Amino acid sequence: MEAFAVASGKGGTGKTTSTLALGMALAEEYDVTVVDADMGMANLLFHAGLEDVETTLHDVLVAGGAPVEAAVYERHGMSVVPCGTSLADFAAADPTRLREVVATLAADTDVILLDSAATLSSRAAVLPIVLADRVVVVLEPTIPALSDGLKVQEYASSYDTDTAGIVFNKVRDGDAIERIAPKAERYFDGSTLASVPASDAVRGARRAGRPLIAHAPESRAAAAYREAAGALTVRDGDSGTVADRFRSAVVPESP
Amino acid sequence: MKLPEGRLLRSRVVSDPRTVLADALDRGVTGYAVLEPQGSLLLDDDGRGVLTFEGGVPVVAYHTGSDRGGPPALADLAAGGPYRLDLYGVRRDSLAAVHDRESFRVPPGMAAERLAGDQSLADRTREAAPTDRRVDRTPAEGDDAGDRDVGAVEAFLDDERKIAAIREQAREEAQERAEEWGFGDVA
Repeated sequence: MEAFAVASGKGGTGKTTSTLALGMALAEEYDVTVVDADMGMANLLFHAGLEDVETTLHDVLVAGGAPVEAAVYERHGMSVVPCGTSLADFAAADPTRLREVVATLAADTDVILLDSAATLSSRAAVLPIVLADRVVVVLEPTIPALSDGLKVQEYASSYDTDTAGIVFNKVRDGDAIERIAPKAERYFDGSTLASVPASDAVRGARRAGRPLIAHAPESRAAAAYREAAGALTVRDGDSGTVADRFRSAVVPESP
Repeated sequence: MKLPEGRLLRSRVVSDPRTVLADALDRGVTGYAVLEPQGSLLLDDDGRGVLTFEGGVPVVAYHTGSDRGGPPALADLAAGGPYRLDLYGVRRDSLAAVHDRESFRVPPGMAAERLAGDQSLADRTREAAPTDRRVDRTPAEGDDAGDRDVGAVEAFLDDERKIAAIREQAREEAQERAEEWGFGDVA
């Protein structure tokens, strides 16, 4: 059992698309749970067709709230935990309860993917990176995306979270990714898991409220995510032990 | 690089080069921006970046600290924010000599796309570029052809000192915030 944070530090790199695509691809081999841990700017529910559900992570994170099981939805061969979009609900939620949520989920799954916030500027945003075993850094071939991706890696390693690998997203033919990726790899601890081409299928999937691999399984982008999932070796670890580890992780309660 | 005297259009501190590019494009500025990093990562990393515009579209880039022009000059500006920005307007013909330096030229959309990381601003900038600066696009190549030159990104990745400085700063920041946020025991 292993928990990955899918992170980027910069918005717009396609983290949520990547999280769900990696989740679906990994679900062919593993029992996968995807959590929208971008608690302040949740959007996974729109990508997964879950915008009308009653209970979300926000309801679980309030004091005396719903049990986590109530916010788990079986979709596309995965367990999906969406987060609501109400800022008032975010304000009422206690992000540090995410530790307990992850611990509970860990007992019953092989892989947890935490869709993380596109910022490192708050405690709630960094928490998924603190809790995860490893981070998958989603990049674009631009200077700010690479620079912010490096910052994510440094934050992660400060919390003993390793880098599992990097994913180059929204790559176009003229991007010379064959030259950029090896140069970038010199600075990241994990290798390039895949280079995902820019694709209209991604926009189509988002509009349809379906994960990319469900919406356009034959697209080049979907194939690239399958390749990324194949390159990701999930470390063995007893689920019970992992759950205990999350529970004992030293994350303070809300101030 | 000798710049002509210009009329100061704007002088302020900006956090991100994107602001400069969007501002110049929206105003259709013909002139140049001088960007001076205020939060320099490297102690000896002084110098200023100069970016010229014609009708709001970047033409030439130069960095006084590294004495490099073209795409590498854009990389030299990266991660140095906030920046002190002075934006000058000049007559188009007064930039002719500066714009003759072929090796200092940057493709129209490169600064927006690679330095600012803003795809839609890059697309708008390319649309505003005169036709002779747009590379012909055949339908088969579509948007993938043209000026998607990545020289600035490669130059950035080749700058090991700057990347080491970015990582070092992030490490320090992470440690400080770990304490601030009460993650201290974890870190």
